[in-house]
Amino acid sequence: MRVAERTRPDAGKAAAVIAESSVPSTTHDGRRKRRGVNREGLEAGRRSTRTLLWVLLAAAMVLYGFPFLYLLFTSFKTPIDTIAVPPTVLPKEWTLENYANALGRSGVVASFINSIQTAVISTLLSLVLAIPAAYGITRYKTPSGRVFIMAALVTRMVPPVAIGIPLASMMASVGLADTPIALSIAHTTISLPLSIWLMSSFFEAVPRDLEEAATVDGCSRLGALWRVVIPVVSGGIAVTAIFAFLASWNEFLFALLMTAIRSQTTPVVIANFQTQFGLDWGSMTALAAVYSIPVILLTLLLQRKIVAGMTLGAVKG
Amino acid sequence: MSTRKTISRFVAIGGICTAVALAATGCGAGGPASAGSAASNTVNVLVEAGGHAELTGVAEQCKKETGVTANFVELPYDGMFNRLSSEFSSGNVSFDVAALDSVWLPSFKDAVQPIDELFTDEAKKDIFPALVKEANVDGHFIGMPAWTNAEIILYRKDLFEDPKNKADFKAKYGYELAAPTTWKQYQDISAFFTKDGMYGTDVKGAVETEWLAHVLQAGSPMVLDADGKVIVDNAAHKEALDFYTSLVKSAPSGAAQVDWAAAQNLFNQGKTAMTRFWAHAYRQIPKDSPVAGKVGAAPMIGGSAGVAGVPGPWYLSVPKATKNTEAAKKFVKCAYDYNSMGIESSLGLAARISAFEKYQDKPGYESFKPLIETLSGKATQTRPATAKWQQIVDTVLIPTLQKAVAGGDSAALLADAKKQIEALLK
Repeated sequence: MRVAERTRPDAGKAAAVIAESSVPSTTHDGRRKRRGVNREGLEAGRRSTRTLLWVLLAAAMVLYGFPFLYLLFTSFKTPIDTIAVPPTVLPKEWTLENYANALGRSGVVASFINSIQTAVISTLLSLVLAIPAAYGITRYKTPSGRVFIMAALVTRMVPPVAIGIPLASMMASVGLADTPIALSIAHTTISLPLSIWLMSSFFEAVPRDLEEAATVDGCSRLGALWRVVIPVVSGGIAVTAIFAFLASWNEFLFALLMTAIRSQTTPVVIANFQTQFGLDWGSMTALAAVYSIPVILLTLLLQRKIVAGMTLGAVKG
Repeated sequence: MSTRKTISRFVAIGGICTAVALAATGCGAGGPASAGSAASNTVNVLVEAGGHAELTGVAEQCKKETGVTANFVELPYDGMFNRLSSEFSSGNVSFDVAALDSVWLPSFKDAVQPIDELFTDEAKKDIFPALVKEANVDGHFIGMPAWTNAEIILYRKDLFEDPKNKADFKAKYGYELAAPTTWKQYQDISAFFTKDGMYGTDVKGAVETEWLAHVLQAGSPMVLDADGKVIVDNAAHKEALDFYTSLVKSAPSGAAQVDWAAAQNLFNQGKTAMTRFWAHAYRQIPKDSPVAGKVGAAPMIGGSAGVAGVPGPWYLSVPKATKNTEAAKKFVKCAYDYNSMGIESSLGLAARISAFEKYQDKPGYESFKPLIETLSGKATQTRPATAKWQQIVDTVLIPTLQKAVAGGDSAALLADAKKQIEALLK
C-alpha cells in the first residue's frame, strides 16, 4: 500500500475500491458483503429461470390444452356456430342440445359400458402379465430375459392393422367375435410391451437389499415380492395401469375391425358422427367431452401415485 | 401399512371389476345378438353411420310384414371398406346384409350373392337406369339400390329474386337472372355475385365428382371408356377441367383444399350464392343458418351433352358367407318395397323413382324434382366399374384437380394423369 501511495496520489483510494470490490478480503465484513452480492445474484438468476420455466410451462399448457378447450367450447355451440367461417373459439350462444343429441343416440350408453369393460379387462391383463415378466427380467438378468424384453417391443414395430385383421379372424374362429374379451386381448397386445418396459424400470429402482432383508426376516421370494417390492413400486403400478387403461380407452382401429353390435366401444360411436353426408360437429364434440371425463377423473384420483411412480427411478443409486 | 391397504383396496376393486366385466363378457352391453349366427329371423345389417336412419323405418315395417328383425351395425365411412375387406377375405362375416357404396361393388363382386330374383321388370322400370346398369356386375345383379343422391344446383333464392340484382344482371349480361342451366350461365352468375366479400360459387379441389359430372355434360364417359381404355386426356375432360378452373376467380381462396364439408359450410354460412352439391343438403340446412328458408334448388347444369350428374347410390348386398341368406334377402326385398320410408329420415333419400315422385310436390322436398331430372339425364352415368377406382381417385384425379385449380396447365396435367392411371391399371 505504501509503495502505491508514494508513486500515485490517488492510488490509496483506488486500492481501497479494488480491495472492496474484487480483491479477496480477509475481514468478516468483506466476506459477508461478498456473500450478500453472490446470494442476490443467485436469487436473481433463480427468479429469472423460474419465470422462464413458468412462461414455457404456460406455453406448453396452452399448446396442449387449447385443442381440448376448443372441443369443449364447440360442444356448447349451436349447429351454425360450429361451422362458422372463420371459426370462433367461444360459442355465441350456449346450448346443451348437442349433449342431448349425443347421449340420446341409440347405443351410446352401451358403448360406454363396453369401453369400461374392455379397458378394465385389458389393464388387468397387462398388469397381471407385465409385473411377473418385468420382475423376472430385472431380478434374474438372464440372456433369454434380455432377448424377451427386446422381443416384447416387436409388436410395437408392426402396424396395428397388420395384427388387427388376423386377430379379428382368429377371434371369430374361436367364437369370441364381437365380445369385449376379444377386444381386450387385442388391446393387451398394444399395452403389454409398454407395461413390461415401464415395470422393469420401476423394479430396477428397488434396492435388492430390501428383498434380502425381507428374506432374512423369513419371507419367501414371492412373499418378499408381494409384501415389500410391490408396495414400494405401487406408484409405478399406478402409472403403468393408467397407460394401459388409456391405450385401451382411446383405441380405435381394433375396435373398428373387431366389434359390431354387442361390443362396440365409444371411439367408434364418436367417429360415426362423421358420415359420407356430413359431419355433426356439435354431437361429436359433446360425446368426446363426456368420454374424456372418466380419464380425467382417474388421472386426478391417482395423481399422487403417478408423480411418485414417475420419480421412482430418479432416486436410484 | 397404508400403502398395503391401498394395494389391497386396488386388488379388491380390480377383482370385483374383473368379475363384473368377465360376467358381462358373454354378451357385451350392445345386446345379445350373435354375429354371423346360424339361420334365424334376425339379420345383422352393416351400414355406414349416415345410412342407419335411412333404413330404420324399413326395418320396423319389415318386422311387421315378414317377422325379420334387423340389428344395425354402424361404422364410420372411412373404416367400413377395411372392415368389409377383412371379413370378406376371412370368409367369416359378422353381418347378413351390407350397405355398399357404389364404388365398392366391383371390389366385392365375388363376395356377395346374386339377387337377380329381386330385379323384376317392374323393379327395373322404377329404378334410375344408371343404377340398374351399375347393380349388374358380370351378368348378375349383386346389390339393390337403397338410396341415391346426385349433385344439383342450390342457390340463394333471395339474391336471385332481388329486383336490383335482377336489373343489374340483365344490364350486364343481357338475359334474365335465374337458376343457371348452362356452363356459361353458371360462369356469368358466379362472376356477378362475387363482390362485397361474397362469392358466386365454390370450387372444390379436394373432390373429383363435380369435375367428372362436367365431363359427362361435355359428352364423354368418365376417365375410362366402355373398353376400359384410359381417356382422361380427351377433349371433353380438358373442356370440363377448363370450365372448372375458370370458376376459381369467383370462389373463395384455397380452392385446392375445399371439399364437400367446406363447400357446404360456405354455402350455409351465406358466403357463396350458389353451390353444386348433393341433393340431400337442401334438407340439412341448419334452422339457425342465415340462408335457412332462402334457398332454391335446380337441376345440375348441362353442357353440350345436356344435364348430367354422377349418382351416389348405396346398395344392399347379401354376403355369400352368411348363414342367414333367406332372412337377408327378405330384408333386402323389404328395403325395396318400403323404399319411400327412407325419405322421412334425417337424410331424406330413396332409390326408387316412384318414391321421389311421391314426395316431390310436398313442401320441404323442393330438391326432389331437380334430383329426378339430374338422375334421369341421358348423359348421367355411374363411375367406372373398376376395383382400382378409389385408388385412381385418391392418387391421380384429386392431385391433378388440385394442381389444376392452383393454376396448372390442364393439357399437361391430363396427359400426365393418363400415364399414371394406365400404370395403375396394368
